[in-house]
Amino acid sequence: MDTRLPDDAGQLADAATRRFRRLGGVDAARRAEADPATRETARKALDELGVFDLDVRADADQLLAGAVLCRAAGAVVLPWPLIPHLMRVSGRHLVLIDPGHVRVDHGAVGLSWLGANVTGSAWPLEAGPPDVAGRLGPFVTGAVLGEEQPGRIDSDDIARYLTLQSWTILGALESALAEVTGHVRTRHQFGRALSQFQAVRFTMADVTIAVRGLEQLAKLTIWRLGRGDADQRVADAMALRLHAAETAVTTLRASHQMYGALGFCDETDLSVLDRHLQPSLRYPLSAERLARALVPFAGSGALTSRIA
Amino acid sequence: MDFELGERADDVRSQLREMLRAGVPDDFLGAFTDDPADLELTMRFCAELAEAGLLCIGWPAEYGGGDGTVWDQTVVREEMWAWHEPRGPQYMGVNWVGPAIMRHGTPEQKARHLPPIAAGSVIWCQGFSEPEAGSDLASLRTTATRDADGWLVSGQKVWTSYAAMASWCVLAAVTAPSEPTSRRLTLFLVPMDRPGIEVRPIASMLGPHHLNEVFIDELRVTDADVLGTPGDGWRIMRDALAYERVGIARYARCEALLERVREFLRDGWDDLPESVRTRWVRALIEIRVAKLLAYVAVGGEDGVDDAAASAARIVTTTLDQTVAELLFEALGSAALDTGTDAALHGAVEDHWRYAQAATVASGTIEIQRVITARDILGGR
Repeated sequence: MDTRLPDDAGQLADAATRRFRRLGGVDAARRAEADPATRETARKALDELGVFDLDVRADADQLLAGAVLCRAAGAVVLPWPLIPHLMRVSGRHLVLIDPGHVRVDHGAVGLSWLGANVTGSAWPLEAGPPDVAGRLGPFVTGAVLGEEQPGRIDSDDIARYLTLQSWTILGALESALAEVTGHVRTRHQFGRALSQFQAVRFTMADVTIAVRGLEQLAKLTIWRLGRGDADQRVADAMALRLHAAETAVTTLRASHQMYGALGFCDETDLSVLDRHLQPSLRYPLSAERLARALVPFAGSGALTSRIA
Repeated sequence: MDFELGERADDVRSQLREMLRAGVPDDFLGAFTDDPADLELTMRFCAELAEAGLLCIGWPAEYGGGDGTVWDQTVVREEMWAWHEPRGPQYMGVNWVGPAIMRHGTPEQKARHLPPIAAGSVIWCQGFSEPEAGSDLASLRTTATRDADGWLVSGQKVWTSYAAMASWCVLAAVTAPSEPTSRRLTLFLVPMDRPGIEVRPIASMLGPHHLNEVFIDELRVTDADVLGTPGDGWRIMRDALAYERVGIARYARCEALLERVREFLRDGWDDLPESVRTRWVRALIEIRVAKLLAYVAVGGEDGVDDAAASAARIVTTTLDQTVAELLFEALGSAALDTGTDAALHGAVEDHWRYAQAATVASGTIEIQRVITARDILGGR
């Protein structure tokens, strides 16, 4: 049992964090919101990190490399569709969708898209109208389904996608938590730091534990993706993704409560992290729909609480 | 990264399951029942575990242990708790009393106490909580007064689990009332049949033996009974409580009961309301998280990490209560049934009752949050 990241994955994570910091951290997302064309700088940063040579299907090491990159990207809500790029199929960028209501984050970035639902049915997508982007998910576009393509997306690809999405969420939550932890330590009310009030301390304890738990589950899940049968792998990934979404809702809610009104202002990273993370939390399926999709796996025994 | 517990741990798990199948009947619900045969069973089973080198597998061989890894010990903890703890109250001797004696005991204390714990032949209880000192353990009032022959202890303990079964007690008493907390308390290793100790059981929803009062009236203790040095009690207690918090693998029983109830329901599982089944999904995920956080707590290079143990405790105790409610929902109107004809011989009802105390016992969930917050925010 050793839950530490291997050295090379840790080094890649550090390099990505440094590179994204040079890009401005969360400021890159702010800039992109004002001028979407600046997203190109995020693409260039990813290119410099060797992301476009990564083959996450090739082996466990490259998949883990993809995951730590997603975590670092999530920490700054990097304005580029990293997961679709890592998961591209025959030159098309894979995006998991709800075919009844197709939405693509960063759909207008000028890529060729392949949409798939969580059971593997796939369609070429023409991203574009309706123009639905709002404050939550400012880069979301609608998309039109093409002709359903023959064959299905490999369930392992569905599992990888959901796992990478969960690592992205993890990165964003760690980032939000770090900012809010700093805030409650330095913000004084009634003559003392917020961190001296028991209600604040207990809330921070609960959300910190929740995010640490998510980190452990994310590591376990990516380790298990190379093991067991296909049903188990996709169930594991869906379970992680469900847990990530629900941990995010709890953590971000608590973070806003701790931050007060300032946390809703875009000058704080929390506001930008929360708004830009929303598509990762809601697409392809909401948490409750994911839970319902997992019920047959729990019934069949493919979803278990076992670890090894 | 590697989430395998190791080949030996896997072998230990298989061996334990074989022993459980052979030695523990399906309707066993732990030692703490009205039937004395259940306690006898645990005494027999502990002796078998000791004989097989499994009871204290994580202890050093020089103290009668198996020189096993923390993961070997984790597997024992999980398998025992999953099957209603057939070590009975002896888990406490294995988990923290023995290790505390190893770290702080004199050679005489080690020679006297460690062999019977390793052999599975002795029950210990923990005399910490008092009517006026529950979570605030540092405010104990039971006092040990120095005299020419050693110390005379008087006071009252409460909630003392297994006190009526135990032959020994780790007793905390005030020896330096005017000193700060860190030097105020001393721990004594005391035989329960020594004059001056009276145990009175407390009737409770948890069932017999879980809660007792212990009245102490001019109990004679000597320097030879002191664990560590006088005034060192608080430090040893804090150390011990970190081990105690991860000493019960509550998540393992949740895992076992969910699996057993799913098998019991068979096709009825599909007929459960969708909301119950989605809660079931979430419970399976929460079990994984609880397990992983417990592994983080025990897997550190310097033994059990205090804050990580508290984090694990918060998650596993709330999980216990979540699963208890979920299983009651799943069984519907059969949930309250007890006895051998009940679903799973009443294991779900038993679990629900015991789970109610999960967030209070071994340090309340609020105390665990205090410890976690101190770790992340500093302060007190």
